[in-house]
Amino acid sequence: MENLMGIFLNSVFVGNILLAYFLGMCSFVAVSGNLKTATGLGFAVIFVLAITTPVNWFIHHYLLAPGALAWAGLPDVDLNFLRFITFIASIAAMVQIVEMVIERISQALYTALGVFLPLIAVNCAILGTSLFMVERNYNFSESLVFGLGSGTGWFLAIVAMASLRQKLRYADLPYGLEGYGITMIVTGLMAMGFMIFSGIAL
Amino acid sequence: MQRWIRNFFDTHRPKFEKEGRFHRYHGLFEAFETIFFLPDSTTSQSPHIRDSLDLKRFMSIVILAIVPVALFGIYNTGFYACLAAGKSTAFLPSFMQGLLIFIPLLVVSYGVGFFWEALFAVRRGHGISEGFLVSGLLYPLILPPDLPLWQAAIGISFGVVIGKEIFGGTGRNLLNPALTARAFVFFAYPGQMSGDAVWISGGATDAVSGATALAISAQAEPGSQIPAMLDQAGLGLFELFVGRTPGSIGETSALLCLVGALILIITGVANWRIMVGGVLGVLGTGMLLNQLATGSLAAAMGLPAYYHLVMGGFAFGIVFMATDPVTAPGTDAARWLYGFLIGALTVLIRVFNPAYPEGTMLAILFMNLFAPLLDHFVIQIRLRKRISHV
Repeated sequence: MENLMGIFLNSVFVGNILLAYFLGMCSFVAVSGNLKTATGLGFAVIFVLAITTPVNWFIHHYLLAPGALAWAGLPDVDLNFLRFITFIASIAAMVQIVEMVIERISQALYTALGVFLPLIAVNCAILGTSLFMVERNYNFSESLVFGLGSGTGWFLAIVAMASLRQKLRYADLPYGLEGYGITMIVTGLMAMGFMIFSGIAL
Repeated sequence: MQRWIRNFFDTHRPKFEKEGRFHRYHGLFEAFETIFFLPDSTTSQSPHIRDSLDLKRFMSIVILAIVPVALFGIYNTGFYACLAAGKSTAFLPSFMQGLLIFIPLLVVSYGVGFFWEALFAVRRGHGISEGFLVSGLLYPLILPPDLPLWQAAIGISFGVVIGKEIFGGTGRNLLNPALTARAFVFFAYPGQMSGDAVWISGGATDAVSGATALAISAQAEPGSQIPAMLDQAGLGLFELFVGRTPGSIGETSALLCLVGALILIITGVANWRIMVGGVLGVLGTGMLLNQLATGSLAAAMGLPAYYHLVMGGFAFGIVFMATDPVTAPGTDAARWLYGFLIGALTVLIRVFNPAYPEGTMLAILFMNLFAPLLDHFVIQIRLRKRISHV
């Protein structure tokens, strides 16, 4: 239990997927202009990460890892070289399924998330989390918590960025820096603020 | 004398007006003129309030509140420099020695910072604001005394340009410029910014240990009694409160920070909610950790919570940095929470992060990032409490 708490806090604060590893930057920069849509996308990312990370854990452990196919009578087969393409395919498929399920169950949530839901398929924070999960040898429950934590960290970053950009409406920016330019600089400053946690071992 | 200055400005004004030869430098001209004379122009658009408190007076009060801390810091730095060099530690020589250390840093901070301010003011056609007088004074006070001047110059350049000017100058920055500058130097040149050797000018010698109270508390073995260790090192509670300890130039004296806090609160310049919130955050978190402390966990967990108020830069940070009206939240409930979280994060970083013995600087920067979000939540909650469609 303590271990799971540690993984969660670590992935939200210390190893924030966005501000420590800079993954998922494109949708972060593009969608943080408005606090409401940023919150929506943040929740969608938490949701998708909490599903894809454990699913990819199953794929890795029962199909791809060296010796994973022992259950099928093929203990010598190593399909690890297929990891990237399989993970991407499974993420895209999961996002599609999640989208269809949400549309079927809750029309309101579906319209609220809108175009951002399919966009998550190409958010590199999702793939990055799955790859970190393999690299760090997490077990099933750990990978579930890691997915949740990574998503929460991403959510925290994009919501903070959206509120900062709201404040920046009153700023007097140099012509060339308006929009994406200042967002990149603020991302750097945010990463500096998040370095408060770097070095904590959980 | 006064008439002479008045005449000087009046004769040269036309050159800086719209059609004049130097109209690009109007901001520069105005900045110097308003140092000597009150401007007679007022806000042209409504609404505005008639009040004698303008930005210049506001910043002057902050500087006034910093002066006692700065003077003591100069003496204290000089005292330790003399002690390390084996010279007389009487008041006057110590103070002179401190001036020799502090003045170059101050000159670099003001000089380089003013250069960037002026460059941006001239290029972008806005005025030069008094805000920099405060940032430029705070910055050298939070530096270790022996920081090479070129590093101080690079730090303040980053703080002024990236921390403030690219957002459009005073009042528009997201992070505290002085802290941004210090954080930049901290991450860029860790060798000159942390460790035991940097807190005393001339370096720690056999006669004087440069270890600060924070370093002692961070390095204590599990199960050891930190207050006793601090007493042994000559850093008892009283010394820490008065500030006779090694450290960054201006941060050591909690007592004089308290005096500064009173000046700021009585004049209404700084918000007391942030300061009280910060103190509560430190005490609350410290006491919680005291309850959880056992012999096998970090010794700093058992340190009485009030020690965290007087050790390191917390007092200086919460009084002069966290209350910066530009980067702090603007609603009262958010201010309480903002101060509380700064205090709580400071203690947590001091106790649990082995990478940094001190957490105040980064705690304030971190909360600067979330200040607009806290405001947003407070406003949303208020909106929800309203009766809709009355």
